[in-house]
Amino acid sequence: MIENKIYFKFDGKTFEGNEGDTIAAALLRNNVKLVGRSFKYHRPRGIYTCGIEEPNALVQIVNEYNEPNVRATVKKIYEGMVIKSQNRWPSLKRDLGSINNLLSPIFSAGFYYKTFMGPKGFWKNVYEPLIRKTAGLGKPPREFKSKSIHLNHNVDIVIVGAGLAGLLAAKKLAGTKYDVLLIERESSLGGIMKNSKKIKFINDQSPNDWVKKTQRLIENSNNIKILKNTLVNTYNFKDHLIALEDRSVGKPQDNNKPELVLHKIRTKQTILANGHIERFISFRNNDLPGVMLAASFEKYIHRYGVVPDESPVIFTNNSSTFSLVKSLIDLGHKPKAYIDIRDQKKIEAEILELLTKYNIPLYAKSEIEGCDGKKEIKRVTIRIKKNETIKIKTSMLCVSGGFNPDIHLFTQSKGLLKWDKDLLTFKPDKIFQNTITLGSVSGNFSYENVLKEVNEKLSFFEGINDLEVKLDIDGPSDFQIKELWETKNLKKSLWSKSFIDLQNDVTTKDLRQAVTEGFNRIEHLKRFTTNSMGTDQGKISSINALGIVSKILKKDISEVGTTTYRPPYAPLNFSAIAGRSTYEFYDPIRKTPIHPWNVKHKAVFEDVGQWKRPWYFKKYEKETMHEAVQRESKQVRKSAGILDGSTLGKIEIKGKDALAFVNLIYTNSFTKMKPMTARYALMLGEDGMVKDDGIVCKINDQHFITTTTTGGASNVLTHMEEYAQTEWPNMNVYMNSITEQFATLNISGPKAKTIMKRVFNNIDFSNERFPFMTFNTFDYLNTKVRILRASFTGEQGFEIYVLPEHALTLWERLFYYSRDLDLVPYGTETMHLLRAEKGYIIVGQETDGTVTPVDLNLNWMIGKNKKDFIGKRSLTRSDIVSSERKQLVGLVPINKAYGIEEGQQVIEEKILETPIKKPIKMLGHVTSSYFSPTLNHSVAMALIKGGNRKIGSQLYVSTSDLNVIPVEVVKPNFIDPKNERLVT
Amino acid sequence: MLLINCPYCGERDQIEFTNGGEAHVARPKNPDQESDREWSEYVFVRANPKGIYYERWVHTHGCKKWFNAVRNTSTDEILEVYKIGDPPPPIKKFKNTLKSPSGEPDVGSGNFAVKKT
Amino acid sequence: MWRNPEPRKFYDIIIIGGGGHGLGTAYYLAKEHGLKNIAVIEKGWLGGGNTGRNTTIIRSNYLWDESAHLYEHSLKLWENLSSELNYNVMFSQRGVLNLAHNEHDVKEIKRRVSANKLNGIDSHWADPKQIKKLVPIMNIENCRYPVLGASYQPRAGTARHDAVAWGYAMRADELGVDIIQNCEVKKIRTKNGKVYGIETTKGIIRAKRIGVVASGHTSVLAETAGIKLPLQSKTLQALVSEPIKPVINTVVMSNAVHAYVSQSDKGELVIGAGTDGYNSFTQRGGYNTIEDTLRAIIELYPIFGKMKMLRQWGGIVDICPDASPIISKCEIEGLYFNCGWGTGGFKATPGSANLFAHTVAKDEPHSINAPFSLERFVSGKLVDEHGAAAVAH
Repeated sequence: MIENKIYFKFDGKTFEGNEGDTIAAALLRNNVKLVGRSFKYHRPRGIYTCGIEEPNALVQIVNEYNEPNVRATVKKIYEGMVIKSQNRWPSLKRDLGSINNLLSPIFSAGFYYKTFMGPKGFWKNVYEPLIRKTAGLGKPPREFKSKSIHLNHNVDIVIVGAGLAGLLAAKKLAGTKYDVLLIERESSLGGIMKNSKKIKFINDQSPNDWVKKTQRLIENSNNIKILKNTLVNTYNFKDHLIALEDRSVGKPQDNNKPELVLHKIRTKQTILANGHIERFISFRNNDLPGVMLAASFEKYIHRYGVVPDESPVIFTNNSSTFSLVKSLIDLGHKPKAYIDIRDQKKIEAEILELLTKYNIPLYAKSEIEGCDGKKEIKRVTIRIKKNETIKIKTSMLCVSGGFNPDIHLFTQSKGLLKWDKDLLTFKPDKIFQNTITLGSVSGNFSYENVLKEVNEKLSFFEGINDLEVKLDIDGPSDFQIKELWETKNLKKSLWSKSFIDLQNDVTTKDLRQAVTEGFNRIEHLKRFTTNSMGTDQGKISSINALGIVSKILKKDISEVGTTTYRPPYAPLNFSAIAGRSTYEFYDPIRKTPIHPWNVKHKAVFEDVGQWKRPWYFKKYEKETMHEAVQRESKQVRKSAGILDGSTLGKIEIKGKDALAFVNLIYTNSFTKMKPMTARYALMLGEDGMVKDDGIVCKINDQHFITTTTTGGASNVLTHMEEYAQTEWPNMNVYMNSITEQFATLNISGPKAKTIMKRVFNNIDFSNERFPFMTFNTFDYLNTKVRILRASFTGEQGFEIYVLPEHALTLWERLFYYSRDLDLVPYGTETMHLLRAEKGYIIVGQETDGTVTPVDLNLNWMIGKNKKDFIGKRSLTRSDIVSSERKQLVGLVPINKAYGIEEGQQVIEEKILETPIKKPIKMLGHVTSSYFSPTLNHSVAMALIKGGNRKIGSQLYVSTSDLNVIPVEVVKPNFIDPKNERLVT
Repeated sequence: MLLINCPYCGERDQIEFTNGGEAHVARPKNPDQESDREWSEYVFVRANPKGIYYERWVHTHGCKKWFNAVRNTSTDEILEVYKIGDPPPPIKKFKNTLKSPSGEPDVGSGNFAVKKT
Repeated sequence: MWRNPEPRKFYDIIIIGGGGHGLGTAYYLAKEHGLKNIAVIEKGWLGGGNTGRNTTIIRSNYLWDESAHLYEHSLKLWENLSSELNYNVMFSQRGVLNLAHNEHDVKEIKRRVSANKLNGIDSHWADPKQIKKLVPIMNIENCRYPVLGASYQPRAGTARHDAVAWGYAMRADELGVDIIQNCEVKKIRTKNGKVYGIETTKGIIRAKRIGVVASGHTSVLAETAGIKLPLQSKTLQALVSEPIKPVINTVVMSNAVHAYVSQSDKGELVIGAGTDGYNSFTQRGGYNTIEDTLRAIIELYPIFGKMKMLRQWGGIVDICPDASPIISKCEIEGLYFNCGWGTGGFKATPGSANLFAHTVAKDEPHSINAPFSLERFVSGKLVDEHGAAAVAH
C-alpha cells in the first residue's frame, strides 16, 4: 500500500506523516517523544495513549484559529497543518517554568489554601497574580465563526461503538423493522479488531475482512445508518444523546461548511458498546516521555503502522499484554524485558511459552520501581525482589494496569455501578433508562462471551437475525489481573514523583497527604487534590486513585465509591453546542411595515424585545439625541407628530363570556361601557402588582380588542390563556394575537384632526360624532382601517390600525397631506418625554413589579363594584394599604437650570459627604426625567415613600457624582392638567 | 431533556413546553373572604415535594393547550399526563421509591454512581 | 481537618445542612455567641450541595436597601475571611460587571448604581469604552444586542467555594461543633408547638433549637414539621471550559442574554446558565439551557468559538417568589429557616451564616435580616429583586 505523504509543522519544524495519521502517530513516526509540558511543574511530557483518554499530549493548532488543548492522539494531520506545543516558555526543550518542579513542596495538595496568604494585600497583589500567570494549558484561541449545525434524530435504537460488540448488535438488527443509528468515534469501524491482533480469525476470515463484510451488510440494510467520526458525548434523560461528528477529519477547515455537526438523538433504546479504557500504574517518574500504555502502543502499530519503539520494556499486572508481545514479534521486533507482578505460576502458559520461544527476559513477581531520564526515558529500575533492584536501559516502557469499562456514558444515564473483585473495576449494575450494555463496557472482557451476551440481551427485539460467530483468539482466553495501583518509590529527590493525575500534576504523595489531613471522602479528595479534574477527567487514572485511597483507608473500593461522572464524555466545542443560532441568527430581528421608511429617514433604533423601534430621527448628521428629541417634542405640541406604534401587542378576545373574562383580567369595569368605546386599562398579577397596561376596545360584550406593551405582548396572552384554560375552563372565550395583523400609526398634536380630515375626507371627526376614547372601522381606498381616538401625548390623537401591506402607503399619504403642517416623525424617546410631561406612566419604568395601582394614584381605574378581578384581594393586605408605601409624584428642580437624572435617589439630605460611609436614607427614586421644551425645565416622576403627603414640600435628588439637587414635590401632571387638549 | 406526551399532540421534546407549577390549586371562589394568611398561601405557596408531583404544563410551541402531568421530581420520570378537567389519578397509583422525604431513589439519582451499602 | 464523631443524644442546637451556610452558622454560633453543644447534620458530604456547584460570584450591588445591606454585610466578612479562618478561601476581588444591552437595562442599572452609591457600596456606571478596557475580548458593538454600559463593582469577585466549606468546618470543629456527615434527616419532630428533635438515619437526636439550611431540600424538611414554605426547587446549571491562559480578569454577568463568565485561577472559564423552568431534585437540567448560554457566550466573546466545555452540572436551588431569601423564625418555637437563596446564595455565605447564627442564638432576627422574614408574604412587604426586570413600553 502506498501511503500519501503529508507535511506539517510542529513547533516550527516540518515533519512528514502519512495520510490518516493522528498528530501523535505522525510525531512517533518521526521519533518525537517530547510533546508538551505539564500544568503545575512544567515537567516534560510525551504521548501516553492512542486515543481520547490522553492526559499529556495536548497541542495548539495554530492554523485553526489557534485552537488550544487539542488531543494529538485524536486530531488527524493534513497538509500544511501548523501545531505548537503548550505550556512552555520560551521553548519546549528549555522551559523556564520547570523551576516549579523544584519548588514542588509548596505546590503539594491543597497548597493554595494553606499558603499564599501572608500579610494583608499580598494575596491580591502578589500571590494571586503569580498563580494566574501559571494558569491554563493552551493559549487563548482567535476569533472564529463556526458554521457548525445541529441535526435531530428520532430513532428506535442507538448503538454506541462499532467494535466487536457493536457490530454484532448491528448485524442482529440489520433488516429488521427498527430504525437504528450505529455511532463510531473513529474513522473506521472495527474497534479492537483494528487496534490489536487479539482476534485472529472470525468465522475463519481475517478480522479486517469480517469487519468489511459486516459493514457492507449493515450499509445495505435499509434500517441502519452509520455515523463515523462521531463521539457520543452526553447521555441525558430521557434516552436523549448528544453526539459530536467531526466533518473535517484529516483536512483543513473549510469555513463555508459545517466543520462540526452536533447530533441530538432521541431514542427508544440505547445500546452502549463503547468498550474500555486501559489504565496505568503509578511509579516513580511514570510521567516521563517514553512511558506509554501497552494497548495504545499496540494500537499505533495496527491502526497507523507506526512502531513507537522496536524493543520496549513491558510492565504489566494482567494477561492482556500477550498481544503486544505478539504484535512486536510478528513485525520481527521483540520487547527488551517483560515484567509481570504476578507469580510465574500465575502467568498464563501462552505468555510463558511465547517469551521462552523468543528468548525475552521475564521478570515475574517484579515491578517497575521507577524510571529515569531527563527529557525522555533512558533507564528503568526493576524491583525483582523485596530489596533488590536492577536497571535496564530502554527508550520506551509500555504499561498495563488493567482495564476500566468505559462507564462514563452509563453513569451519565444515572445507571448504578458495582465493583467487580475479579476484574478490579467498576462495571454497570442497574440501569435507570432504556440502556443495554454490551461487551467490555459491561465488564465482559472475554471475546468468546460477547456473542452470547449480544444474543441474550437483544433477544427481546422482534424479528432479529440469528448469529453464528466463531472466534479464534490469540493468547490467553480469559482476562486475569492482580491488584497493583502503585509501586514503592525508592528515590527521594524533588525530581522523583509518582503521578496519579498526569495532567493536573497530582502525585500519589498528594493523595496520601490529603488523606492524612482528614480528607477521607473521595469527593473531598478529588477537590482538594484536583485529581481527575483535568481535560481527560482522569480516564486512565481515576480508578487507580480509588485503589490507592482504599488501601490507605483500609476500606474496600466499593465502600470508598466513586465520584459522579459529569458530562460531556470528552471536551465539547462551544461552537457545536451553540450551533447555527449564533451571529446573524442569534435572535430574530422584528421590523414593522414602516421600517424601510424609518431607515430612509435616519431613524436611530432601539431594541425593545426583538423589535427595532425608532428611538429618534436625526434631521441632520450632527444632530444629537437631545436636540432631536427636543425638536420632535416641540413640533408635536405645536403642530403634529406621528409615531410608528406597530410593535404594541394586540389581542382579540371573543366569545359569549368575553365581557366577564375581560372584567376579571383587568382592574377596570367594562360592564357599563358602551360598544365602540375604549378604555385605558390596567392588568395586575395575583400579587396585586401592575403587570401591564393597554387600551381595551369594546366592539360589543362578546368581542374586545386590547393592546399591550411591546415587551409584554406574549406574556399577556400567556397570562390570559392560563386563566381561561385552567381557572375558568367553562367560560366561552377565545384569544388571538393580532399584533402583526395590523400596523399602528399614532398621530397626535393640535393639528392631528386637521390632517386626519384631509386624508380620510369621508369621515366625520367632530367631537360629537367621534369623541375621545371611541373607535370605528372605515373604508379607506381599497381596504379598511380602524381608527381609535386616543392619546399618549396629551394632545389630540388618533391611532390608525391598518393592514401591514397598506401601512407604508398610508404613512406616506399622511405626510403628503400635511406638507404645510410640519408633521414630524418621532421615536420612542420623544414619546416618553411627551407622556412624562402629561404624567402618564410606562409599565416597566414607573413600575418594576412592586407597584400597585394605588401607588400610582390610579385608584380611579379600579372597578369598585367588581366582586373580583385578578390581584384584587392582594390590594387589601396590611402592607399594601399602608400610606407609607412609595407613591408616584412629580418633581421639579427648584433651580430651573438643573436637570434631574433618571434613576437617581430622592433623599432628605441637603448635602452628601463623600465617601459615603453609612447608608443614606432613601425615600425612593426618579422613575422618569426629561427636559421639557414646553416648560423649559426638567420634569420628573418619582416613586417616594409617603409621596402623596409630601406634595408641595422640598426634597433632594442625588446626582451620579454624589451632589444633590433641591426639588419641589408636585403632582405628576405638568401639562394641561384639565385634559382640555385631549377633547378639543 | 424530558420527553413529554402532550395529551393533544403526542410525544414531543421538552423544549416545546413551559412548566406551570403545581396543578389542582384552585383559585379561591371568594377572594374577599380569605384572610391575609390564606390568601398569601394561595398566591405564594406551592407544593414542592421530592417524589410524586402533580404539575401543569403548556404546549407553548405546539397546540398551546394546558394539561396536567404527574412526575417524580427525584428522577424526572413522567408517570402520567391528563387533560385539564380530568380527575387527578390517585397518588397510590404511583410507586414512590423514596424511603424518606429527602431521600434518594434507588436508581436515577443525580447524587451517586455506586449504590450505597 | 475535622473529627467524624457519632451524634450525641442531645444538642442545644442542631443545624441541618453541611454547606457553607450551615457550617458557617455553627462556626458563628460557637465563636460569636459562645454557644456549645452544637451539631451540623449533613446528608452527604460537606460542601457537596450548592456550595460546590455554583459559579462562585461574590458581589453586593443589589437594588433594594434590604438586599444591599445583607450582601454588603456579607462582602465585608468575605474581605476578612481568609484571616478569620486562617485558611485561604482565595477571595479574588477582581471586580464584577453587570452588562446593559438595551435602554431598559441602562435605566435599571443606572438606578441600581445610584442606590448602591448611597448605600456606601462601590458601584459605578461603566461606559462601553471602560468595559472594553477591562475586558478587551468582549464584542461590544457588532452583536445583536450591543453592550451599552454596565455596572462595575471593583470589590466584587470570586472565591474558592470548597475552601469556604472546609475553612468553616475546620474552625467550627476546633470550637467543639460536632460535624456529622452521611446522616440524613428524615423528620423534624415537634411537641406542643416546640421543636423536639430530629429523626435521622443515625437515630433520633433531640435538640432545643433547630436551624434548617438545606437549600433545595429545605421545603421538604419543613413539611415534616408541618410548615409550608414559599419555595420551589429547580435546577440551576453551570459549566467550565478547558483551562487556557488568562484572558478575562473580571467577572462578567449579563442578565439580558443569560451568560455569566469568569476565569478561575486554574484557567477554566466558569460559566453560569439560567434556571430550568420546572421543579426537580435530580441535579440535571435541560440541554437547551446550556445551548442558550453558550450561544450568548459566543456572541459576547467571539474568541470562545474554539473553546470546549469540559464539565457541566446542575444544583438544586430553592427559589422564593420575590427572589430574596428567608432568614426567619417560624410558628414553631425553636425552629428557624435560612433558605430561598435561589441562584445567588454563595456570595451571601458568611453574611447569611453570621445573621442566621444571631437569629438562632437570640431567637430574634438581626436588624439586617429582619426584612427577610416569612411574614413578608402575608403582609405583602416583599423584597422583590426580580421585579426590576419588568419589561419596558
